[in-house]
Amino acid sequence: MSKALEGIRVVDLTVWFQGPVAAQHLADFGADVIKIERPQGGDQGRGVRSIKSLEVGDWNQYFLVINRNKKSMAIDLKKAAGQEILYRLVEKSDVFLSNLSMDLLASWNLSYAKLASINPRLVYATNTGYGRFSTASKPSFDMTVQALTGAMARLGEPGQPPIYMGMGSGDAFGGIMSALGIMLALYQRRRTGKGQYLDASLYGAQLYLAAPYLQSFLAGHRESALQQSRKQVVNPLWNLYPTRGKWVYLCEPNRDDRHAAVGRALAAEAMLQDGRFKDAAGRATHNEALIEIIENATRQRGHEELMAACNREGVIASPINNLADVIRDEQAWRNRYFMKTYCEEVDREVDVRGMPVTLSKTPGELRCLGPQLGQDTELLMMELLEYQWEEIEAMKAKGAIP
Amino acid sequence: MSRALDDVIVLDLGRQFCTALSAAFLADFGARVIRLDPLPANAEPRPAGWNHEADLIHRNKESLALDFRRDQGRAVLTDLLAKVDVVVTDWQRDELAAAGLAYERVRTIRPDIVYGRLSGFGPLGPDAALPPIDELAAARTGMMPILPQPGQPPVYTGSGAMHASVMMAFGIVMALFHRLETGEGQEVDVSLFGANMYGAALDLQAFLAIGKGDRLLNPISRLDVSNPMSGSLYPSADGRWVTLTMPDTDRWWPVFSKMVGLATDDPRFDTHDKRTESHRLELIEALEQAFQRHPGAYWRQAFMDNQMSADVIEQFDYPASDPQVGANRYILELDHPSFGKVKSLGFPIFMSDSTARLERLAPCSGQHGGQVLHELLGYSAETIHQLTAAGVVA
Repeated sequence: MSKALEGIRVVDLTVWFQGPVAAQHLADFGADVIKIERPQGGDQGRGVRSIKSLEVGDWNQYFLVINRNKKSMAIDLKKAAGQEILYRLVEKSDVFLSNLSMDLLASWNLSYAKLASINPRLVYATNTGYGRFSTASKPSFDMTVQALTGAMARLGEPGQPPIYMGMGSGDAFGGIMSALGIMLALYQRRRTGKGQYLDASLYGAQLYLAAPYLQSFLAGHRESALQQSRKQVVNPLWNLYPTRGKWVYLCEPNRDDRHAAVGRALAAEAMLQDGRFKDAAGRATHNEALIEIIENATRQRGHEELMAACNREGVIASPINNLADVIRDEQAWRNRYFMKTYCEEVDREVDVRGMPVTLSKTPGELRCLGPQLGQDTELLMMELLEYQWEEIEAMKAKGAIP
Repeated sequence: MSRALDDVIVLDLGRQFCTALSAAFLADFGARVIRLDPLPANAEPRPAGWNHEADLIHRNKESLALDFRRDQGRAVLTDLLAKVDVVVTDWQRDELAAAGLAYERVRTIRPDIVYGRLSGFGPLGPDAALPPIDELAAARTGMMPILPQPGQPPVYTGSGAMHASVMMAFGIVMALFHRLETGEGQEVDVSLFGANMYGAALDLQAFLAIGKGDRLLNPISRLDVSNPMSGSLYPSADGRWVTLTMPDTDRWWPVFSKMVGLATDDPRFDTHDKRTESHRLELIEALEQAFQRHPGAYWRQAFMDNQMSADVIEQFDYPASDPQVGANRYILELDHPSFGKVKSLGFPIFMSDSTARLERLAPCSGQHGGQVLHELLGYSAETIHQLTAAGVVA
C-alpha cells in the first residue's frame, strides 16, 4: 500500500502535546518523522505518570501514542556541536516543526533565517502560544489559552463554573491545524520548489473551537458569549433530556411532523393536544413549557426503553454515553478510530487511538509506538547523516550526544 | 502572490457549517471554490441583518445556482465534475447517488478526483448510514457526562465539528499532495464521531489504556481536582474565574506560595506529594480562600509578573478586542458593503509565502454562474442564455 507522505522527512523538535500530535498525523501517513530530544530526560511528556490522580497504567500512553511512528535522536542543542548535527539533518529534511518559543530557538541558532539558509526548500513550522506577531510573553498551555478564547465561559448551566473541553482538547485542535498548515506548504513547495515559514498558534486555533458562537458574538449577538440553560433552548426537540438511566440527546428539527413523531415516541398526549405547541412558532415561544413536558415523559423511562421508542418512530436520538461505552463501540473499532498495537514497554498488545482521517488509497498506518529516548541517534548519524564513527565519538566527547 | 492551492478547483457541496468551513480554508489559501446552490431555491426566510455566518464559511467562494435534478442541469454538472479537482460534501450517500454525485460515478468522469465526505460515524460499520449530526456523535463519544461539575447535566461543546472541519481540509490537501506525485485520486472520509474522539484526546486514551476508573466516568468537582495547581478553577473577588496549569508544582511552589499568601515552608504543603496527595483537599480549600482576596485583574497581573501558566477566564469580548488577535489576523475588521465595519473570524494559520486572502465575502446564490459556465466550461453566450431562460441556472 502506498503512503501519502512517502519520502517526506520531518524534524520534530516538539514537547508535550500540540507539536507532537501535529507530527504524529504526518507520521501516520508515512512521513519519516525524527523527534529531537534533549539528552537529559527528553520530551517532558515522557514524565507523565498520572492523569486525574490515576496511574496511567503500566505504560506511558500520554507520550507513546502521540509520538508513535517516530524515531528519536538525543541531541544537546545548547552546544554548537549539537547544532551542527541538526543543520546536517535539516539539509536532508523537508519540514522542521517546533513548539518551543521563538526566543529559545533563536538562542540555539535555529531561527527560520538560519535554517532556510541551509535548506531553502525547508518548510519551517512553529506552534507559538499567541501568534507569530504577538508581543505577549507568557507561557501557554492548553487550558490557560482556552480560558482566553471565551469558549469555556459560554459552557455549562447559568451560574455554574466555566467548562474546559477536556484534557488535551485545545492541543489536539492546535495540532491538526498545524498539520494542515504544513500540508499546504508542502503542496505549494511541490509545485514551486520553495519552502516557507508558517505558524499555527494555540490561541489562533482555539479561537476556532467555538467558531459559530464567536462569529455570532462578533456580529453583535452578545448572548452567544453567555451560558444558556438547557431548560430554555429555542427548539425543545433538539435538546438533551434525563431518563431513569443515561441522558438522551434528541436531534429533531422544529417541524410539525417531527414534533408529532417525538410525541408518539414519548406517548406524551400533552405535547400533541396542547394548542400552544401546534406550530413551530408556538413551540419556540412556549419552549420552556414544552421542555418541561418532554422531560416529565423522559424521566419515566430508562434510556434503552426510550431509544427503542425513538427508533420505532424514526426519531433521531442517542443515549449520552460514557468512556466505558465508547471503548466498546463497534463503530469506532470498525473504522480504525481505535487500534491495537504492540507495546514494547509491557510486552503485550495495547489499545490506542487510531486514524481519525480515512484515506481510501493511502490509509494511515500504525507501525510502532513512540521511541525510546535517543534510540536512533547513532544509526541516523551514520546512515542518514554520513558521519564516520570517529566523528560520532568526538561528538560524544563534546557532549553533543549522549 | 503565489498561494498554496492556486491550481486547485473545488466543488463545494457542504450544507453544514463545518463542511463549508473546510472548503473556506482551502479558498483562503488560494483554491478556486465553487459552491453549488441547488435550484429551485429553498424559500426559507433569512433572518434580517448581516449574515455573519455566510461571510465566514463562504468567504472567497463563487456560487453556481443549478437545477441539477433536470437533465440539462445534470449535463452541466457532469461537465463541471470533469473540471474540478476536489469535491467536498456532507450529503448522505443516497442523496449523492440520486444526484449523480456518488464517488463511483464521479471518478468515471474525473478519475483523479479527491473526494472528501463528512460522515456521521465513518465509512464502515453498522452505523455508517447515520446522519452527520455533531450532537449525535458527541453523545456517543463519552466525554459529555464528565465535562460539568457533579450533578449537572452533560455538556455539548460543539468542538467536535470544528475538529472535523480542520481534519477534512488536512485530509484533502494530503490527498492532493499524493496526487501531484502519483496522479492518483481517492476518497477522504472524516466523521464527526472520529473527530469528537480525537478532541477527547487524553481522557479517552487514558480509559483505553486503563480500562477502569471512576474519575474518568464521572464528573470531578473543582474542589476535588487531582492537582490543586493544575486544571483547577477558583473564583476571584469579583467573581471572575482563575485557572492554573502548573503540573510541576515543585518548580512553582516557592513563588506561587508567596503570591497567594501561604508560607512556602508550610509543613502541610512543602512537597509535591503533600500538595497533590496527602494534603490535596486542604490546599484546594486554602487556594479557594486565597483567590477570593483579590479581583481577576490583580491575579492576571500577578501571573504575568511571575511568568506563570495561569490566567483569568474570559468571555468572547476579550479576543474581540485583544490587540494580539488583530495583529495576527485571527479576527479581521471587514468593510461590509451593507453593514459597514464589522468583525469576523480570520485566519488561524500564518504562511509567509501564501498569505491567507480575503478577496470577497460570501457570494449571492448564482452570482458566478455566467463566469463558471463561460470561463471554466467554455459554454457559449447562447447556451448560457438558453440555460438561464429555462431556469436551469440562475
